[in-house]
Amino acid sequence: MALARDFYWRYYVRHKGKFGHEFLEFKFWPDGKLRYANNSNYKNEVMIRKEAYTHKSVMEELTRITDDSEITTKEDDALWPPPDRVGQQELEIVIGDEHISFTTSKIGSLIDVNKSKDPEGLQVFYYLVQDLKCLVFSLIGLHFNIRQSKLYVFEAIFIFN
Amino acid sequence: MVDVLDLHEAEGGDFAMDEDMEIHKLKPKKKRKGRGFGPKEGSRARLSARDYDSVEQDGDGPGPQCSVEGWILFVTGVHNEATEEDIIDKFADYGEIKNIHLNLDRRTGYLKGYALLEYATHKEARAAMEGLNGQDVMGQRISVDWCFVRGPPKEKRRGGRRH
Repeated sequence: MALARDFYWRYYVRHKGKFGHEFLEFKFWPDGKLRYANNSNYKNEVMIRKEAYTHKSVMEELTRITDDSEITTKEDDALWPPPDRVGQQELEIVIGDEHISFTTSKIGSLIDVNKSKDPEGLQVFYYLVQDLKCLVFSLIGLHFNIRQSKLYVFEAIFIFN
Repeated sequence: MVDVLDLHEAEGGDFAMDEDMEIHKLKPKKKRKGRGFGPKEGSRARLSARDYDSVEQDGDGPGPQCSVEGWILFVTGVHNEATEEDIIDKFADYGEIKNIHLNLDRRTGYLKGYALLEYATHKEARAAMEGLNGQDVMGQRISVDWCFVRGPPKEKRRGGRRH
């Protein structure tokens, strides 16, 4: 089931730390296909790669959440801290005629957001990414019966390493 | 923006190419914004399409898709001050709820507005969907749908192992 307008979401975060190169990526396509991958060497974890097709209602909710944040219409990454050796985030979203592709460094917490040159915009990004991850972890975790803690361990590594 | 897909790794089926080519099928005229549109620095390992695990489908036509241990519904329009109990009370009438995720808005701490709910059987899930779609929770109408659907027909798919 595809939606009438064009849609696409992609989020990618990478981190290089004590446990090597770790990353998390998910993508949504207009036909509902969701792909999720994350990788960490923490305790010799192997890569998780999952795929599922989500119902149109999931895509519509994703659209509502994204539209509510106004990230495609009001925000821009021009003043955000650029990716560095330690970490990188990429958020690419297509909704209808809008196509954004934002990159920035890893964000540990609101402290990093408030120190930046565009705290309001970066805060929108920060919370939208958390909301998207929350949805994706629920979708993948429940569909494949993966313990949420296993998915969240990667997030913890990014923050606390 | 061009995602570099290593086409030499593609198996030859069009599915392997869909991974990143599909974004180029989108209508070209878009307003673009962001630093991510520049040339990509460095390279990232690209996973070929067949590396992704999926739940084995029991048919090829369109329709709901079961999950590893049950059938999952996607509920939207949930009032942001509703409680887990409000939702469970409604849905428990239709069967035993195996799992429920009622996610929060990470900024406000209120409910984000959606929920995932799992029953063991298709029958229970379907009954809940038909019974509760469009119903009222705290003065707001919820929508209840399947969460997952079947993918495109087998000829176009590769991979798919039950996990």
